[in-house]
Amino acid sequence: MGKSVLIIDDSSTMRKIVNRSLRQAGLEFDTVLEAGDGLEALDILSGEKPDIILSDINMPNMDGIEFLKKKAEDASIKDIPVVMVTTEGGSEDMVEQSRSLGASGCVKKPFTADQVNDVLGPLL
Amino acid sequence: MDFTEKIIDATREIFETMIMVDVTPGEALSEHVSKFKFSLSAMVGFAGFKQGNLAIHVPDKVAMGLTGDFLGVEVDEINEDVQDAMGELANMLAGSLKPFIANDGGKVELSLPSVVHGEEYTLTVINKADWIIVPFSVSHGDFMVGLELKKQ
Repeated sequence: MGKSVLIIDDSSTMRKIVNRSLRQAGLEFDTVLEAGDGLEALDILSGEKPDIILSDINMPNMDGIEFLKKKAEDASIKDIPVVMVTTEGGSEDMVEQSRSLGASGCVKKPFTADQVNDVLGPLL
Repeated sequence: MDFTEKIIDATREIFETMIMVDVTPGEALSEHVSKFKFSLSAMVGFAGFKQGNLAIHVPDKVAMGLTGDFLGVEVDEINEDVQDAMGELANMLAGSLKPFIANDGGKVELSLPSVVHGEEYTLTVINKADWIIVPFSVSHGDFMVGLELKKQ
């Protein structure tokens, strides 16, 4: 069965940019799922089980930190790896918090294809 | 601190890694520019230990070209994708400069990006601020990156 990814970001443009970065890193997914915030992501995850999740941190309705907390409470999805996508110079506190809540890694924009591959590759 | 080189380094890194576009910097401007025509300006504010903003000023045609490169699609109008992509560029530029702006040990936070677009508009200049505007060229045309920091 082909690999699938869930990209969570409140900007549809950023979701496209992240998806393009995955392709540039040579990471081809047969299914690319998209959510605009943590709530929408949990809704998708009630039916779909992607191989990996890429999530923004700052989002309306439910941010990346709250999403990680809710995901950890659900046995059916708690083992799906999550990589946080953030910006260089963004809140280090939130990055640290996401790690303590089970995020498997973090990629900081601007990132190269190699950096994306280094973080995501071992998780797939 | 002279931020001109920092702006050039950050702009080069972001454009070359995220958009795969080569940029050529020009000489920093000697006169402030605040009036723009058929352009888009994306800004991110700095708050806390230092106050100010980082802005990228991009003519419509250049913004559409860069967004096309960024997303890997054809763009023929100033739409949400163009505004978001330019906002994201401003966000990444501000994030890259933040460690140098907060260099003296104070905490600096970034605002969410805001975007202005129009046939003709004027941006308000911060009172009593140090400023730097660096022009750049890409294959689509020219754009500018500006940094304003309030004097302390």
